[in-house]
Amino acid sequence: MKERTSALVVAVAAVATALFVIPLAGLVWRAPWSSAWTELTAPPARDALRLSLITSLAATAVAIALGVPLAWVQARVAYRGRNLVRALTTLPMVLPPVVGGVALFLGLGRRGLVGQHLYAATGVQLPFTTAGAVLAETFVAMPFLVLTVEAALRSSDRGLEEAARTLGAGRWTVFRRVTLPLIRPSLVAGSVLCWARALGEFGATITFAGNFPGTTQTLPLFVYTKFEAGDLDSAILLSLVLVALSLAVLLILRDRFLRAL
Amino acid sequence: MPALRADVGVDVDSFRLDVALDAEAGQVVALLGPNGAGKTTLLRALGGLTGLQRGRVEVGGQVLEDAATGVRLAPEARPVGFVFQDHRLFPHLNALDNVAFGLRCRGATRADARRVAADWLDRVGLTGQSGQRPATLSGGQAQRVALARALAIEPALLLLDEPLAALDATTRSEVRRDLRRHLRDYDGVPLLVTHDPIDALLLADRLVIMEGGRVVQDGSPAEITGRPRSAYVADLVGTNLYRGSGRDGAVTLATGAVVAIADALAGDVFLVIDPRAVALHRQRPAGSPRNVWAGTVQGLDVLGDRVRVRIAGEMSIVAEVTPAAVASLDLVEGTDVWAAVKATEVATYPT
Repeated sequence: MKERTSALVVAVAAVATALFVIPLAGLVWRAPWSSAWTELTAPPARDALRLSLITSLAATAVAIALGVPLAWVQARVAYRGRNLVRALTTLPMVLPPVVGGVALFLGLGRRGLVGQHLYAATGVQLPFTTAGAVLAETFVAMPFLVLTVEAALRSSDRGLEEAARTLGAGRWTVFRRVTLPLIRPSLVAGSVLCWARALGEFGATITFAGNFPGTTQTLPLFVYTKFEAGDLDSAILLSLVLVALSLAVLLILRDRFLRAL
Repeated sequence: MPALRADVGVDVDSFRLDVALDAEAGQVVALLGPNGAGKTTLLRALGGLTGLQRGRVEVGGQVLEDAATGVRLAPEARPVGFVFQDHRLFPHLNALDNVAFGLRCRGATRADARRVAADWLDRVGLTGQSGQRPATLSGGQAQRVALARALAIEPALLLLDEPLAALDATTRSEVRRDLRRHLRDYDGVPLLVTHDPIDALLLADRLVIMEGGRVVQDGSPAEITGRPRSAYVADLVGTNLYRGSGRDGAVTLATGAVVAIADALAGDVFLVIDPRAVALHRQRPAGSPRNVWAGTVQGLDVLGDRVRVRIAGEMSIVAEVTPAAVASLDLVEGTDVWAAVKATEVATYPT
């Protein structure tokens, strides 16, 4: 016989669920559905949407290019200070993003620790540029990809890589034809998660890259700006776009992400 | 014709492997030994998966590794095929592409690699399985794919690590028979690791017995089983092996027991007594030119239509008798018995 679940636990669980559902319901309830299409396709909103897609996809690409080698080193190379490196490279997951933005400014800003030399040598400055927004998003989002891929590399079967080498595959061929296909589900999960985090990035972006429409004003910044200015309609509709995208990511990853970690 | 000339010295933690092994093409060599003897470590060293601390490996005149000069070819640069105990088929590739993998790595075009791979799958009898992923293959089929994959690169040295260990008993004898045929057809040096004496005896022309990281005996199956030189081999063959000092037609063992022998062998000797040559009695038997020892039955094991009686005493010995003898002598654990062996039934040879 099935044991009866305590009514109290069910009630508390219902309250907890309500805590998440009520704000979303509020968004849907107050949304100006009749003017939705005009609001979403209006140039400022369209620019923010386009910029968000560009920067978040660029940040994900950078995170894959830099993060997969980092994950490989962390998973496969035993060296002194590996735990310190892991702590430093996953710090943005727990750091308030605004602190990350300030830190980026002091490190890579025009007068920052490294940024001043970058500026002196090439004339490139990152703050208040689209590239700066991409960097801020990468900073915050890459740890999600690195951790997912590192876990997959750690648990992948090294015996298969050995078998590939005895068959004549060099290290790069082994990675490309054996390791990578085996960790593909985790790489996909990590990338999607990284992309979703980059898409939602706010604090580091606004601090490091500023809030300039067309260059650094991504969707979350646009929503915040409209909300502050009292333009609720735009804020609500674009919030709903972000909610829909986030929900889609969760549904896509429902099976895969849990397994990958 | 390729040949293997290896002198392998590897230290893994506190384990020390030091093995010199030469082998010729067309002769199947089985490395046999208990777990932890270093058999797999030796194969890994030959394949380049574990580096040498000492020694050198040469295949067909090509130096693969030399600890003295620092030469060390990567696994992918060696003319060596490896069949792993757990097969290690690539789960994301079908059987055909698993076999084609090595050919592709060696520069064949996709079409050529697949054509040759299909031919190999055909040879191991898996024509119909070429499109299947490893997860859908049976253990015996996976083993055949692994063998085809290793043979497809036409290695000069073929290493097989417990190739039949992952199979159940019925598949095993069938796969063993096919493996034997493929090893006969193979024109390189086949080297097989096993801890199963049946596999070793049925597949190999030559046995190399390893224990504790060293070779303890090396020879044809008949030589090894006829003249065991270690407790491990004696156990495998199921015979009684002792070591002692011979003088004036008798051998004195370390336990103090004296065994009368027919040969006049002096010095350190091995002594083998076939369990079937041991007669058991409840009373001390009469007659003089025999070896007679008192002992106590420690256990009885039924082996087909014979019973192996383990006897402990000044001369611990195993006797193999008929079930009828066990019944008439009323042998149970703890029974006191006399074990008698004719001097002519004791085989001796120098250590």
